[in-house]
Amino acid sequence: MRDYLDNRQIKLSGHTPRRPLLLAVLFCGLALLLLYGDQRGMLAPVRGALEQVLSPAAQQLTAIRDGVTGFWMGVGDVRQLREENEALRQEVTRLQEELIAHEEALAENVNLRQQLAIEGDTPWHLLGAEVTVRLPDAGRRVILIARGTQDGVRPGMAVVGQTETEPTALVGIVEEVSVHTASILLITDFGSQISARVLHDTSSTLGLVQGQWQRGSRLRLADVTRDLPLTVGDTVVSAGLTSELNLPLALAAVPDGIPIGEVESINTDGHTQVAELRPYVDPDQVKYVWVILNQSE
Amino acid sequence: MGNSQPKRIEEFLIREILLIFGLVALALVQVTLLPTPLGFPPALLLILAICRLLVGIGEGESHPESSVAAAIRWAFYGGIGLDLCSASPLGSHALALLLAVILVTLVTRHLRVEGEGLLLPILAVLLGMLVYEGMLALLLYGPTLAQALAPIDWQRYAVVVFLPSILQALIPTLPLFMLLRRLFRAR
Repeated sequence: MRDYLDNRQIKLSGHTPRRPLLLAVLFCGLALLLLYGDQRGMLAPVRGALEQVLSPAAQQLTAIRDGVTGFWMGVGDVRQLREENEALRQEVTRLQEELIAHEEALAENVNLRQQLAIEGDTPWHLLGAEVTVRLPDAGRRVILIARGTQDGVRPGMAVVGQTETEPTALVGIVEEVSVHTASILLITDFGSQISARVLHDTSSTLGLVQGQWQRGSRLRLADVTRDLPLTVGDTVVSAGLTSELNLPLALAAVPDGIPIGEVESINTDGHTQVAELRPYVDPDQVKYVWVILNQSE
Repeated sequence: MGNSQPKRIEEFLIREILLIFGLVALALVQVTLLPTPLGFPPALLLILAICRLLVGIGEGESHPESSVAAAIRWAFYGGIGLDLCSASPLGSHALALLLAVILVTLVTRHLRVEGEGLLLPILAVLLGMLVYEGMLALLLYGPTLAQALAPIDWQRYAVVVFLPSILQALIPTLPLFMLLRRLFRAR
């Protein structure tokens, strides 16, 4: 017999290993037991302790990676152009934030009834955190930060990020928290669903922002009534109405008014409109995020 | 004579502990240090576990089951390391890696390649990645699926998740395989 792939001769062996088979069965059983125990929370103390040990090392390694990346990005830069570019980017960011705030203020006057259901304007108390780890698989959009219950982080809190050219915007929701670490489910993940408000001139309407990364796009805005026709470029912010929408989402208790993204394309689906969104902040690119600690329940 | 048995056990335990530390360190490297051009790092530990398996087969060892056992241990320890480093359910990566290695073992156990056999690791990693990503999708999204508005579109999932992650994993496969083989031959 010949290996058709490499054109090399292959010999057949009839030997059936038994020891590896037992080992495989043993380890598979152990893995299943660990999965079961973890889901029941029985391993939480051990897991928390081990994560606490690994967290500093993860932070150090991430800092090394960022340093290396920063070095290569800086090669060939002209200092003056960089400073000018930086100033312009900051100006653009400031103007975009002002524009969103203005649109939101206009919409507030029209939607007083909906406003009553939304949390009042409480000043956000932010907790900064470096992104230490990204989940090592293509299938899930989750990041890990080195902040936990000892810093006041709780499941369901909103997490925002900022890039150089875009306003501060929602990147995810705290999913699980241990003493020193927390995992953030990114808004682009398939499992993420957040109530949203579309700002259109002086009016606004509600919808549901769903993560779509695993389905080929980033964000999808669904359940928007056709009373208010969407247009490309409309701003989408969080609505803070998740509990009012009566969705099975214990996590998504996000304060209202957090910018999420803008409408890129629109389709109609029966009596509702569906839109593809471009998030203001690409959750895959953020290196530093802020947890909104004073989120309303 | 009387002390030889405990000594062997001690040596085995020390080797095993060092292996666990090494693989957890590699898991940390995978989730923190490796570049993420597509938004996620290459599946370093899966590649290493499969290469560890194939290095033995490629050598034509007299006891290839030692390579199989080693690959299974690498998969389990590495998987637990990934679970701890990435806040995913404990045992999920371990189970996915184990099943990938077991399937690759079953497919390649009758093979003994003479010569370089460089296409074998490529195909083995490809097969392993399919199992690995498929298992992770089921393990990580099993509970979420029921709550989601619609089930995963597997066709699209394959294009968005399977294809890029497999292609990304194939790039470092040959260099890692050759490095590992050189190390083991030197040993």
